[in-house]
Amino acid sequence: MIGSLFTPFLFQSAAQAITPILLAALAGVLCGRVGVFNLALEGQMLAGAFAAIVGSFLAHSALVGVAAAMAGAAAFSLILAYGATVFRGDPVVIGIGMNLLASGLTAYLLRVVFGVSGTFSDPGVVGLGRIAIPALAGVPVLGWAFARQSAITWAAWALTALIGVVLYLTPVGLRLRGVGEQPEAAGALGVDVARYRIVTVLVAGALTGLAGAQLSLGAVSVFAEDMSAGRGWIAVVAVMLGRNNPLYAAAACVLFGFADAIGVNLQSRGLPNQLTDAAPYVATLLALVVSHRRRSRFSQRSRKPAPTAGEAAAAHRRGGSGRKA
Amino acid sequence: MSPIDRTPPRLDRLRIPPVALAAGFAALAGAALILVSGHDPLSAYAEIVRGSLSPESLPDTLAWATPLVGMTLAAALPLRGGMVNLGGDGQLVIGGLVAALAPLVLAGPGPFGAAAGLALAALGGGLYAALAAWGEVRHGVPMLISSLLLSYPAVGVTSYLARFPLRDVATGLPQTLMVPLDARLPVLTGALNAGSLLIAAIALAVVVFDRRTSAGYELRMRGKNARFAGYGGVRLGRQAVGTMFASGAIAGLVGATLVLGSQFRFIDGALLTPAYTWSGLMAALLVGGEPVGAILAALFFAALQTGGFAMQRETSVPRVLTLVLQAIVILFLAMRQGIGRRT
Amino acid sequence: MPEIAAAGIVKRYGGLVANDGVTLSAERGEIHGVMGENGAGKTTLMNILFGMQAPDAGEIRLRGAAVRFRSQIDAMAAGLGMVHQSFKLFGSLTAWENIVYGAEPRRGPFVDRRAARARVAGLAARHRLAVDPDARVGDLSVGVRQRIEILKALHRDARILILDEPTAVLTPPERDALFEVLKSLAAEGRTVLLVTHKLHEATAITDRVTILRDGRTVATLRTADTGAAEIVRAMTGRSVNLEVRKRPRAPGVPLLRAIDVTIASPSGRPAVDRVSLTVRGGEIVGIAGVAGNGQSELVEALVGLRKPDHGRVELCGRDVTDADVPARRAAGLAYIPEDRAAVGSAPSASAADNLAMGFHRAPPLARGLFVDPAAFAAWALALIRRYAIRIANERVAVGTLSGGNLQKIVVARELAHEAPALIAEQPTRGLDVGATETIHERLVAERDSGRAVLLVSAELGEILALSDRVLVMFEGRILADLPQERADEQSVGLLMAGRGTEPG
Repeated sequence: MIGSLFTPFLFQSAAQAITPILLAALAGVLCGRVGVFNLALEGQMLAGAFAAIVGSFLAHSALVGVAAAMAGAAAFSLILAYGATVFRGDPVVIGIGMNLLASGLTAYLLRVVFGVSGTFSDPGVVGLGRIAIPALAGVPVLGWAFARQSAITWAAWALTALIGVVLYLTPVGLRLRGVGEQPEAAGALGVDVARYRIVTVLVAGALTGLAGAQLSLGAVSVFAEDMSAGRGWIAVVAVMLGRNNPLYAAAACVLFGFADAIGVNLQSRGLPNQLTDAAPYVATLLALVVSHRRRSRFSQRSRKPAPTAGEAAAAHRRGGSGRKA
Repeated sequence: MSPIDRTPPRLDRLRIPPVALAAGFAALAGAALILVSGHDPLSAYAEIVRGSLSPESLPDTLAWATPLVGMTLAAALPLRGGMVNLGGDGQLVIGGLVAALAPLVLAGPGPFGAAAGLALAALGGGLYAALAAWGEVRHGVPMLISSLLLSYPAVGVTSYLARFPLRDVATGLPQTLMVPLDARLPVLTGALNAGSLLIAAIALAVVVFDRRTSAGYELRMRGKNARFAGYGGVRLGRQAVGTMFASGAIAGLVGATLVLGSQFRFIDGALLTPAYTWSGLMAALLVGGEPVGAILAALFFAALQTGGFAMQRETSVPRVLTLVLQAIVILFLAMRQGIGRRT
Repeated sequence: MPEIAAAGIVKRYGGLVANDGVTLSAERGEIHGVMGENGAGKTTLMNILFGMQAPDAGEIRLRGAAVRFRSQIDAMAAGLGMVHQSFKLFGSLTAWENIVYGAEPRRGPFVDRRAARARVAGLAARHRLAVDPDARVGDLSVGVRQRIEILKALHRDARILILDEPTAVLTPPERDALFEVLKSLAAEGRTVLLVTHKLHEATAITDRVTILRDGRTVATLRTADTGAAEIVRAMTGRSVNLEVRKRPRAPGVPLLRAIDVTIASPSGRPAVDRVSLTVRGGEIVGIAGVAGNGQSELVEALVGLRKPDHGRVELCGRDVTDADVPARRAAGLAYIPEDRAAVGSAPSASAADNLAMGFHRAPPLARGLFVDPAAFAAWALALIRRYAIRIANERVAVGTLSGGNLQKIVVARELAHEAPALIAEQPTRGLDVGATETIHERLVAERDSGRAVLLVSAELGEILALSDRVLVMFEGRILADLPQERADEQSVGLLMAGRGTEPG
């Protein structure tokens, strides 16, 4: 039974499930690196998915759709980029607000622009083609996973490597890592902390747009209300588990992707989807518990309770608005 | 400590209450969106006002406000202590399902079924929320995320139960059997039932707790500076679990009042579609969890949403616009508070 | 022509004048000491020279040319470097990454790691600053971190190096090594401004010293021609009343005890190493020591914020090792923490709320489960009056108060517990003379009323003036337990440096 789960199809559907989560997680990693806690991934992705459909529908081109997704999500990210830096808002509040704004705005525009509610699909929407590389087809696992994937799936993994390289091998990456850890020290050495943060959040926004494009133009060419369906939150967890390291975060995404794919697989064997849909979330939760248990064995000698996210955000806020004052 | 520059931000000098400013800004942005849809913003807004505040629609607004205020309180309580409960949806459906089943399973005279349903719903929602707090206190799993993640399996499992094992096969819909007549909450007038009184009582209790009890004081101090509270002798772990239990219990009660007061059965998806959890969370976030302000914000949102139905009916502007307006209000305020903080 | 010169520097903070017409001038290749007591305005002056703060008046000249730094970045570009008291390093990055940060050697689009490492290794070897370029800074000791800060400045080829109290965190051998480095830097033609309040450091390596007092330059002296006594006279001028009149001590029963307390630390060497101490009623026991020798960890273990790996804590004769903070407070412990803003108060909460903490569950502030806001206000006003706290009313958020008044809020609340045992950690750090005296008087009053007071302070003068017994802590251990009569600056200073490799 277990053995029969691991079919080529499983790898293919896992690879497909990983793509949007991975792209969003990379965006979260970048934001985390510059010290902006990004809880808005869910909404950014949704905005991107909608922009992709609009772009593709108007231009009858998947490429335009993808470009629109990246531009649209980046524009949407201006709220976080400026809200969490120049306006010093609480990133947790901004993130939750952005998720609701994206949910409401896409649903509203869906009705106003396309005159439908729920889902929208149209022959005029051109989806992403699938790239088949014959040479890969024979290779087990990798060949199965990448057999028929969209360009965005390929791009996601290329971007993972690229972001790793930029973060760890280039001057910009070094500065970026410093900005998140010790903004004061980075500023003292001539790095414009606010600018780094704003640009990074916008670049991350473009990545979430790519994630959204994969959702609406990847496997099927359709937009559905709230179609990000919690993937953004899973990406948030992947960022936490990966401790802002793109490669670790990618590993976490692989885990969730397989949980998702196994869920889908079990569904095809008759398990109700209400139960299997929860699989990636349960896997995420378990991964969180395991990782924190492991970590706590080393660091929780002190009895001080860990600050909650709200408290951490508050601390961040205090730090951000000039501890000296 | 260097001296603080006390020049007030320009917006403060105008002395316009921030909430009004945010609402005004949202109204302008909303007007632009209405124009995009080819309608007249003024008549749309007029419909929102008429559809929510006119004498004949006021009871509807209050009925709609009941669960929203409840979920606002569920969000406000942890927020007061600097904690965030994102798992309201899960706690809500657990409460709803438990309330739908209790009167069917526990045979008892008259109102016993309703009382048992309410009590068990509060217990179920409370324990489920407390689980997230326990995970943070004992294992350091951040509650912000775990409370949300716990929501998905709760929603999935209750949905599965309502669709398969507990389904009322006679109706062909994904819903449980009707609760007996005598286990339903008594109707007050029209759309309002005793559930509204219950939520009002909880609201009063939360306000009194916040302002006039030792435990409320401790929670507020935790919200201001958790290290200070811990150093001063507040047992932070116990407090986190207790607060989250109370928060989840309120969410569970909201589910129960909806099931026992108006739906009379657990209908898959019916508790979640109106997105009470997120509207409530926003209302609470607007004021940092201060209960009176949060309740007022919730009433404002309820009016907006109820008016949205009228707007959609009369002008065919989609009522989801009201969700956009809410989001703009909260984003505006989040940043404006930032401006105020930049001393 | 002096390498750097400041004239007529004035800096005010609200009503406080930190620099009041300060003059300073240092030559190329000189090690120039900047001396003065705490609060004399040394750090303010250095921050102004380094562009971190703009002076309200006055002029800075660099090799004769007037300069106006808008920020420290301008100052760095002009060839200044500064090593602050609290380092500004990235713990998760390696030493070389920290050093080249913001001025990285490049190869194509990449950081030229090889060149960066070679540069760091070269600088380190030339200046005898032993640093492993690839070590993660978070894992390094304070001494090494300081070397990294110096290398940061040298990587940018700083001609003028400012060090603010660099020896406060160093062991004696580390200090000696640092001095050798500074001498070689000066020999290369760089100028070193060394801020210190320790006399023997000034006499050991400076060429000249500029002495500040109350924000003014009182003298610039050639060290070789100057006796130590002359410097001391210039520094102190007026006689600072650190003498506290005390009744003879009458110690009672042990109220606070630590028995064999050990706390492990990530570095391997225990942070606290088998520490035993006893504080009796009616005495003040002072713990002297350079900051970072285990004092904070020990205090955390005593108050219940940290569980010791080994050993016991007793309070009023009861074993409280496993008790949490509220249980220990109930058993009779009050605590004035080191960090009044992050731990000792909720800055955004009102004075009434801050002063009520710990009293909010019992009458008069509470009746049953309920609190009485009127009683909160009355209680706060009474304490504000008793401690002469300058605040408009009890509803004001305490974060807006000055350091001294905020500290009085903390002290007022903790002393109001009338707990048998009191732990006071750096109770007067950063406070002006008036607030310091008030708090000293209160601590002595606590002792005189029969309570046990454990005083932890990095200020040796404070320890010596207040303590009936002085414990000296070094590298997690207690090296000595001296009665007040036998504790003088000489002997305790020696012990603070780890039994003293040389006279302090």
